[in-house]
Amino acid sequence: MPRKQPVYRNRVELLQGTLDLLILQTLQWGPRHGYGISQAIRAGSGDVLRADTGSLYPALHRLERAKWIAAEWKQSENQQRVKVYRLTAAGKKQLLSERSRWEQMVNAIGGILRHEPS
Amino acid sequence: MSRRDRRLKEEIESHLRMAIRDRMERGESAAEAEANARREFGNQVLVEEVTRQMWSWIWLEQLWRDVCYGLRGMRRNPGFTAVAILALALGIGANSAIFTAVNAILLRPLGYRDPERLVTILNHGTGPVAPANFVDWKAQSRSFDNMGAAEAWTPDLTGSDRPEKLWALRVSADILPLLGVPPALGRFFTPGEDQPGSQFEVVLGYSLWQRQFGGDSHVLGRRIQLDNQTYTVIGVMPRGFRFAPFWATRAELWAPLALGPRASQRGNSLRLFARLRPGITLEQARAEFSSIKAALERQYPGTNQDQRIVPLKERVVGEIRPALLTLLCAVGFVLLIACANVAHMLLARSATRSHEVAVRAALGAGRGQLLRQFLAESLTLAMLGGAVGLLLAYWGVRAMVRFGPPGIPRLETLSLDWRVAGWTLAVSLVTGILFGLAPALRASGLNSAESLKKGGRASSGTGRQRVRGLLVVSEFALSLMLLIGAGLMLRSFVALQAIDPGFRPDHLLTMILSVGGSPDAGLERAPEFYQGALARVRAIPGVTSAGMTNHLPIAGDFWGLPFWIEGRPLPHPGEAADAGFRLALPGYLETMQIPIVRGRSIDAGDTADSPGVVVINQYMAQTYWPGGNAIGKRLTLDDPSSSRKPAWLTVVGIAKNDVRDDWAAPPAEEIFLPYLQHTDAMGHYITLVVRTKGDPAFLAPVIERSIWRIDRNVTISEVQTMNSVIEGANAEARFNMALLAVFATVATVLSAVGIFGVMSYAATRRRREIGIRLALGARPTEVLQLITREGMVLALCGTAAGIAGALALTRLMAKLLYGVEPVDPLTFIAVPLLLTTVALAACLVPAFRAARTSPVTALRQE
Repeated sequence: MPRKQPVYRNRVELLQGTLDLLILQTLQWGPRHGYGISQAIRAGSGDVLRADTGSLYPALHRLERAKWIAAEWKQSENQQRVKVYRLTAAGKKQLLSERSRWEQMVNAIGGILRHEPS
Repeated sequence: MSRRDRRLKEEIESHLRMAIRDRMERGESAAEAEANARREFGNQVLVEEVTRQMWSWIWLEQLWRDVCYGLRGMRRNPGFTAVAILALALGIGANSAIFTAVNAILLRPLGYRDPERLVTILNHGTGPVAPANFVDWKAQSRSFDNMGAAEAWTPDLTGSDRPEKLWALRVSADILPLLGVPPALGRFFTPGEDQPGSQFEVVLGYSLWQRQFGGDSHVLGRRIQLDNQTYTVIGVMPRGFRFAPFWATRAELWAPLALGPRASQRGNSLRLFARLRPGITLEQARAEFSSIKAALERQYPGTNQDQRIVPLKERVVGEIRPALLTLLCAVGFVLLIACANVAHMLLARSATRSHEVAVRAALGAGRGQLLRQFLAESLTLAMLGGAVGLLLAYWGVRAMVRFGPPGIPRLETLSLDWRVAGWTLAVSLVTGILFGLAPALRASGLNSAESLKKGGRASSGTGRQRVRGLLVVSEFALSLMLLIGAGLMLRSFVALQAIDPGFRPDHLLTMILSVGGSPDAGLERAPEFYQGALARVRAIPGVTSAGMTNHLPIAGDFWGLPFWIEGRPLPHPGEAADAGFRLALPGYLETMQIPIVRGRSIDAGDTADSPGVVVINQYMAQTYWPGGNAIGKRLTLDDPSSSRKPAWLTVVGIAKNDVRDDWAAPPAEEIFLPYLQHTDAMGHYITLVVRTKGDPAFLAPVIERSIWRIDRNVTISEVQTMNSVIEGANAEARFNMALLAVFATVATVLSAVGIFGVMSYAATRRRREIGIRLALGARPTEVLQLITREGMVLALCGTAAGIAGALALTRLMAKLLYGVEPVDPLTFIAVPLLLTTVALAACLVPAFRAARTSPVTALRQE
């Protein structure tokens, strides 16, 4: 039976398709840690999109499991251990296909929005 | 906390630290920065939790989401869901119930150690062998760890509050250890104890121990009276222990078998059990056995005939296996039909869901995801069906145990266990994939743009129609095969019922009187007691006549003896013909109403002092005296080649053939001997047969009381009417027929629903076309024909395929049939006709509805 889901889960569902795309896209320019990714999405979208941490970390771990991104522990500039993600070869392929799917969907939805049904 | 959990915490804390540092660089105070960063981050624990879920449960969660989605869809369509689940539950439930029987009877090992190494040695693979053979084989064979013999025994237990006749076995000391089941209490016999004189010890079965001794743990050493002799209890077997497994299955007491001088006897009375020596195969044992037999045959001609080594399990389940496999096949068909039905329904629904699918596809769901979602839905349906099915199976199994025929081995052990649950789960999974795959492939492969354009109208590809047609055809084929199977069973059941038993079974009451426990009516005085009892019983008002015999036809044991006819050449040793014999007190043949066709019956004048006489049956008279002059001829039961003065018996009468021990067996030689001339051949019990005016069951207590008035120590058992004896003999055939009939009916209803659904759907889909036809002047009857023809083509294709399948399959049922060929013309004509009629009816309803369509509404709707 459908049960009441926690608030975060719902947001994951809403963003899931696109958040993956955004993460992969962000990592295309080089390895980053989770905080860095969230900052990049925020800055890159002109402060419109915010990757909620409750969606971001599950997405990162899911993508890591899917082997689209790989993680490493590194020392940051101020001598702290941070987990850094980078794009894998499979991730690059996935990024391409997600991008084309996204474009398809934008076109499809755009098409629906432009035409009134007869 | 696992390493991964610590790492996650560290990752999140580093995130927070970096956020705080950024904020402080932008000029916030340390406290402010921390508070804001934490607020922005949100609930840390919750973030950790949802992240952790990504590690391992990702697919399960997706599955769960799909299942939830499916369940939501089901709730929106309660009618559809209920019908689908019911159909699946019937199919799966029938499967689980029959599988339970297969599991308990065929698959579960016998309750002994290494049961597959146990064998039994029997005459013709079924009957007992001679003690002399046992002694020789045991001494000479090297293939067995051990070999033991068993003999049925029915002692009277007296001296307790409730005297009763017990089912027991006399076994050689080797048998119980050979089985590998240790006693729950006490010990087994030691090898010396199966010698004459020291055989007065018993091992109790659990149920007897509970019933007669209240489960008393101090029962060891107790002395009990069996047949007026004192025995000592030395052991108790654990609960659930059963021996022997295929005959004398009710035995609940074991005593040593002291062969003594009997060890040289040739009369067949023992069933042998042995355990193969490690490393010896059955074939090796059989090879050795035949060479031993060949050597013995040279030594004692005519003594080593057709004795065979049979695996114990094979002997226990061999006869029931064809029936169970037929039933398993039948329920498999029922399940396939149910699958086909649900697949129809899903196909019909997927047509209306094409819009939903298109939207989901447009929003980014891949074909794999759609497929997974559809399969998750059908699997959810199948699992629900399986759950309900398991419930049905539970009831079904209880009914089988309750109403099952008495002859089926291990029927009482039927129960749902993990294997049945596993089977049900597997069947449900396979079912879900089977009926869900075609609709799912079809639905997920839809061209999304086209479906969106059509705006949710049911699409009607020809491919889909072909799949549905194929489903209907296979449903009909399967139903037809089932119906033909059921029809054949019905025909053979009718044939069984029509057998003339040779006597009148109604108004007959039978019971076994046993004098073994009576000090007064002991063996020497038994004849007086029997005659006195007969006189008493005949005097009871309501009793028409009464007689006694050693064994009743069908119900009782059946003994055979070789015989020799006077003046005929002696056959080779061991090759004399056998006749089944019944010892009869005067009045037995008359009470049974076995007609005497020639000569006279056994009467009161045939006593120990008068000349020996015999009444033979018609079969024997015709076989040995084809000229019809049997009366007055003489035969003997003593081997004339070894006995100097054989006792000659004059044939005084010829009786009509009656059923012997097996209801459906063809007639064979049978002789009736006056009991008073052969009192030594009888044990300590006899069967009383009473013909009554009214309901025989009413008289049972009166008869029992009148016998106990003569001697209270006589036990009375097996009180039953002859009708119920015959019912019991045919119970298995009736049971198989009833089960097959139930399955065939379910199958027919399911396929009728199937064709009805398909034709209704086809008619709806063609509304527009029909509307146009009607508008252009077609008459309603033409529309009727159009729709009906389409359905009937499918039904007839299915029927043809079913006939072909049935021709191939019913051959396998041959062992279950009596008096009817596997390819029975009547069945093969009547059943297809019946099924076609059902199909026609199922087509006509939607066809009529289509013919009544108003062209205006039909056209406007589109």
